[in-house]
Amino acid sequence: MAALVLLAGWGSAMLLRDAPGALVDERELNPRAGEETIAALRHNRARERSVAANLASYLRGLAHGELGFSESNHTSVAALIADRAPRTLRDVGCGLTLGWIAGLAAAVLVARFPRAWPCDVAFLGASAIALSLPAAFLAYLAMLAQATPKLVLAVVIAPEIFQYSRNVLRDGYGAAHVEMARARGVSESAILARHVFPAAAPPLIALAAASVSMAIGAAIPIEAICDAPGLGRLAWQAATARDLPLLINMTMLVALATTSAMTISEFFVRRGNR
Amino acid sequence: MKVLRLVAVMFLTLAGITVATADVWEKHGYDQQFREFPDASPSRRFPLGTDALGRDRLARLVYGTRVSLLLAPAAALVSCALALAAGGIAGLAGGVAERAILAAADLFLSLPWFFLLLIARASLPLNVSPAISVTIMFLLLGVLGWAAPARVIRASVRELRHADFILFAHASGIAPWRILAAHLAPNLRPVLRARFWIAIPAYILAEATLGMLGLGISEPLPSLGGLLRDLESIDISSRLWLLAPAVLLAAVMLSLQVLRPADPTL
Repeated sequence: MAALVLLAGWGSAMLLRDAPGALVDERELNPRAGEETIAALRHNRARERSVAANLASYLRGLAHGELGFSESNHTSVAALIADRAPRTLRDVGCGLTLGWIAGLAAAVLVARFPRAWPCDVAFLGASAIALSLPAAFLAYLAMLAQATPKLVLAVVIAPEIFQYSRNVLRDGYGAAHVEMARARGVSESAILARHVFPAAAPPLIALAAASVSMAIGAAIPIEAICDAPGLGRLAWQAATARDLPLLINMTMLVALATTSAMTISEFFVRRGNR
Repeated sequence: MKVLRLVAVMFLTLAGITVATADVWEKHGYDQQFREFPDASPSRRFPLGTDALGRDRLARLVYGTRVSLLLAPAAALVSCALALAAGGIAGLAGGVAERAILAAADLFLSLPWFFLLLIARASLPLNVSPAISVTIMFLLLGVLGWAAPARVIRASVRELRHADFILFAHASGIAPWRILAAHLAPNLRPVLRARFWIAIPAYILAEATLGMLGLGISEPLPSLGGLLRDLESIDISSRLWLLAPAVLLAAVMLSLQVLRPADPTL
């Protein structure tokens, strides 16, 4: 996991270092800038040329809690992330929770009552429409309705959860041992808790990890469109401003979050399979 | 379901023919300005009105849809070709090559796809001609989308590599690349077809999202993302016809969802 996170940071640094126009400071174009100023700017940029040296110095700084300096925001990266992270964590957390509750509740309803097909058609139609629109457009609609980014995230996540868990839970309800339990008079809530959910747990846990990645990816356009001061908007600003230190940190942070989610889900799936 | 599939096929065919023949029937160009009619309401002359620069919204919608509908399948083809090469090499060669390719795929998959796309797009010039921006977008979508299908193809190749016809091909001294192209690829067709159809809607949405963030195809060339971006500066409450790009995008995406074949590896 650590290797993947480092590789992600190194990869983004390589990509940005070799990008056309990268490592050129636009302040050099200021006609009032003196020779010494331009030389100092070029010297600063030249230091960013060596990715390996920068990564080494970055790791040394990381050990002391320093993440570098953001040129585009004129402040330290650590301060920026500390300032923006709570908002995104709250939004992503709420969005995921709401999305999972809505998606899973609809899936349980549809799987438990297969004859309620109008309900199934309605949920399938609604989820298909939500999946047909970009998250940024949903954010725009939410902005018009004065809804919050966490609600948009829930709307982005819920259809994926519904469509996937609907199929998994339907398989669970169709199993022979579930029919047997029902015939023996076991209550529906007990069937769901003891027979259907345990069987559906491994794919649902894997989906939980994937949904973290989905939510982080969706948070970028949603925060950018809704003008929410979170990490998603910061990532967008860093990308458009080509802020190398900020982007490397953002990449590593995102890679850390997604790989952690995947590792945790793998741990639980393996534990469940034992 | 059959009726839905039929409706989806008919809609996509109609949309395809409409946008492909736009040069024949559309009177106005997508960049033609009517300076005396800025922000005009729908009329017989401009069925969807005009934008702030006096350009026909219908013409821009038709040409924008054409760009998006051509771009996504082309990028999906690139992804599938790269995935076939990478997954095929990993599955056939095994050892270090397989581990290296899987590590690269893991690296790509460890980041949310949109985040990766955003970084890659931002690292390339933004202020470029429309043709270059289309090429950049097409290549980025194609190149960055290889990892997930490559893993699937590698798994399929590993299943196939001990098949009699592959062992026979090896024994006959056929070169590995020829085994991949002539013997494995035809057997991987169902997987490739499924990944191709999965990629198209994802790429249309990705282009639309990047367009809405101002990182899409350059003006004056329209795309669905660029047209949706226009909405950000307009009050649509009393002008619902401005939602036409979103409605068309949703209809295209719904049709593609209905037509998407099941992935045989799932």
